[in-house]
Amino acid sequence: MITKNDNAPDTLPGRFQARFGRLLEPYIYLSPALVLIALVMFIPLIIGISFSFQKYSLISASGPEWIGFANFEKLYGDRRFWNAARNTLFWTVCSVVLQFSLGLGLALLLNRPFFGRRIVQALILLPWAVPGFLTGLTWAWLFNPIIGPISHWMFALGLFSQPDSLLADPQYAMWGPIVANVWYGIPCFGVTLLAALQSIPDELYEAGAMDGASAWQSFTKITLPFLAPMIAITVLLRTIWVANFADLVFIMTGGGPANSTQILPNYIFTTAFRKLDFGYAAAISVALLVLLFIYAGILLHMRRTLVKV
Amino acid sequence: MAKIELQNVAKSYAALEIMSDLSLTIEHGEFVVLVGPSGCGKSTLLRMIAGLESITKGDLYIDSDRINDKAPRDRDIAMVFQSYALYPHMDVARNMGFSLEIRKEDKALKTDRVQRIADKLGLDTFLDRLPKALSGGQRQRVAMGRAIVRDPKAFLFDEPLSNLDASLRVGMRLEIARLHRELGATMVYVTHDQVEAMTLADRIVVMNLGNIEQVGTPIELYETPANLFVANFIGSPNMNLFEGAFRDGSVVISSDNPVSLPDYDLPAQAVHFGIRPEHIRLAEGDRADCTGLVEVVERLGSDTIVYANVDGWGIVVVRLNGTADTQIGDSIGLHFDRAQVRLFDADGKAIAHAGQSPTRQ
Ligand SMILES: Nc1ncnc2c1ncn2[C@@H]1O[C@H](COP(=O)(O)OP(=O)(O)OP(=O)(O)O)[C@@H](O)[C@H]1O
Ligand SMILES: [Mg+2]
Repeated sequence: MITKNDNAPDTLPGRFQARFGRLLEPYIYLSPALVLIALVMFIPLIIGISFSFQKYSLISASGPEWIGFANFEKLYGDRRFWNAARNTLFWTVCSVVLQFSLGLGLALLLNRPFFGRRIVQALILLPWAVPGFLTGLTWAWLFNPIIGPISHWMFALGLFSQPDSLLADPQYAMWGPIVANVWYGIPCFGVTLLAALQSIPDELYEAGAMDGASAWQSFTKITLPFLAPMIAITVLLRTIWVANFADLVFIMTGGGPANSTQILPNYIFTTAFRKLDFGYAAAISVALLVLLFIYAGILLHMRRTLVKV
Repeated sequence: MAKIELQNVAKSYAALEIMSDLSLTIEHGEFVVLVGPSGCGKSTLLRMIAGLESITKGDLYIDSDRINDKAPRDRDIAMVFQSYALYPHMDVARNMGFSLEIRKEDKALKTDRVQRIADKLGLDTFLDRLPKALSGGQRQRVAMGRAIVRDPKAFLFDEPLSNLDASLRVGMRLEIARLHRELGATMVYVTHDQVEAMTLADRIVVMNLGNIEQVGTPIELYETPANLFVANFIGSPNMNLFEGAFRDGSVVISSDNPVSLPDYDLPAQAVHFGIRPEHIRLAEGDRADCTGLVEVVERLGSDTIVYANVDGWGIVVVRLNGTADTQIGDSIGLHFDRAQVRLFDADGKAIAHAGQSPTRQ
C-alpha cells in the first residue's frame, strides 16, 4: 500500500496494539462457541480423566484420594477387562464390517432407478429412527424361544439341536446383539454412501462404458475410488460410535452368559453405576479412549493418502 | 474403420417421440458432421450410435452387423464428450490408457502407446498430472488422446470444442482435421459452429426436430440448399430470404421493383426469394434492383457487413469485400447476382432452375 492510513496510530505501542487487536479479533467472534465447547466437552473430559488417577468410590468410607497409576496397574491384571476388550474388538469389527458391506449394497441398489424409489429411500431410514433400547428389546424377543421365531427357524435349518435362545449360548451369544446392531446401523451407511454415489457424474460411467469397462470394472475403478474418502470417514465415525454403544448388549444379554458378551462400555457402566467405583470406571474409559484415538489416527492418515476429487 | 448405417431409426422417451424415422449411411473413413438447432436430437443420435441410449425402433449396423442390442463396450467405438468426462482420480497417463488397462493389455505396450499418442498431442510433459491440474485445452487433448489410444472402429464427438476459447478452437480444429487424415477413421461430429462444420466435414447432416433436412457436402448445402430450413441454417450471416410472388418471369416482393429471373420458367405462384449476402453488389441507377437505407455497418476487416432497409422488403444483409466506405444513413442501390438467386416454393422446397440439376433431398 502506498497510501497511508490516517487512522493508524503512528507510535510504536499504538501500532502493536492495533496488530494485537487484529490478531485477537477472530477469537472474540469465536469465543461463545469456544466457551460452550469447553463447558460441555473439555471440562467433563478432564474431570473424567482426573478420576482415573484417584481412588473414587462412593461405597468406601474415605473420600477421593490421588493414587497415581494404581487404577491402571489394576487394569493390567484384570482378566475381566481383557475379556471385555477382546469382546469389544469382535463386536465392533463384526458390526462395522457387516453394516458397511450391507449398507454399501443397499446404497448401490437404491442408486438404480426403479418404481417407488423415493418412498423406499425414505423408509430405509426407519430402523435408524428407532431408539436403540427398543431395538434391543425387540430383537431379544425375536431370539427368545418362547415368543420369538428365530430359534425355531435355526432349529428347523438344523443349526441348533433344539430351539434354544442364541443369547443363552456363551459361544454364540455375541451374534445376537451384533445382528441387532447391523439391522440398526445399515441405514446410516446406506444413506451416506447413497449420497456419495449420487455425486458421481453419470458421464464417468458412460466414458467407462465406452472405454470397455464391465459393470464390475466400473465399480472397482470408478465407483470405489470416488467413495473411498467418504467410506473412510463413515467407517471411522461408525467404529467409534459402535465401540461406545452399550444399549443393545445391555438390554439383550446384560453382558452374559458368563461375561461372554461383556464389552468395554458395559463394563464401564456396571463398574461406575453398579459398583459405584468411579475411579476404576474412569481408568477403563481412558483405556478405551486411547485405543480409539490410535485407531482414528491411523484411519485419518490413510484417508489423507486417498485422492480427493 | 467402419461403415455405420442407421435404418428407419426412431427414438422415444416414454410417450415423447424425439425421432420418428431417420436413415443415414456413414461410409468407411468418412467425416460426417451433424448440425441443427438445439434440441433437434444430435446428441441423442450420437448416443444411440455409441450405445448409451437405447434405440426404440429401427436398425443400427456397423459393417453390416446389427448392433442395436450390443453394449457400448462391445461396439468398439470411442466417444469424446463435451465435458471431456476425464476420470478425476486418475492421472493423464492412466486416463489415456484406461481402455487398455480394462482390456488387460501388456503394460509395456500400454505405456508405449500412451507415450506415442501423448507426444503426438503435445501432452508428454503432463502424463503424471491429474485432470484438475490441466487447462481446458489440455483436458480436451487428453479426452482426444483417450479415444485415439484405443484405435477404435469409429470416433464420435459431441461438441468437443465448445468449451474452448476461439483461438484454441481453431488450433484444435486443425488438429482434428489432421487426425482424421492420419487415422483415416470414421468420425461423426456434432457441432454448433458453422466454421467447424464447413471445414471438417466430408458431408454435413442438417437435422431439425429429429429429422434429417438435408445431407451433402458443405458446398452442396451452401450453394443448393434443399429447403428453406437448410438455406436459413447454413451460412453466416444468414441467407437473405423474402416472401414474394413469381409472375411473368420476375419475382415481386413489394409492389415496385420486381426482380427479373430469366433462368426460371415457372407458372405464377407464391415463392420465397433467397440470396446470400456475398451475392449482392452495390449498384447505381438502372443496374440496381432496389435501393435501401443503411442502418448498421459491421466492419470485420476482411469484410464489411451492411444491413440496409429496403422499403416493403425489410432488412437486406450485404457482404462487401474489404473495408467499404459505406456509412450509416447512406442510400445504396443493390444488385442481385442472378445465377446465385435461390427460389423456394410455398412449402419451403427448393425450386430448380434451368441449367441446374434438382437438389438432392
Ligand atoms: N432423458 C430424456 N427424457 C426426455 N427427453 C429427453 C431426454 N434426453 C433428451 N431429451 C429430449 O430429446 C431432444 C433431443 O435432445 P438432444 O440432447 O439430442 O439435443 P441436441 O440436438 O444435442 O441439442 P444441443 O444442441 O442443445 O446439445 C430434446 O428435445 C430433449 O429435450
Ligand atoms: Mg447435444
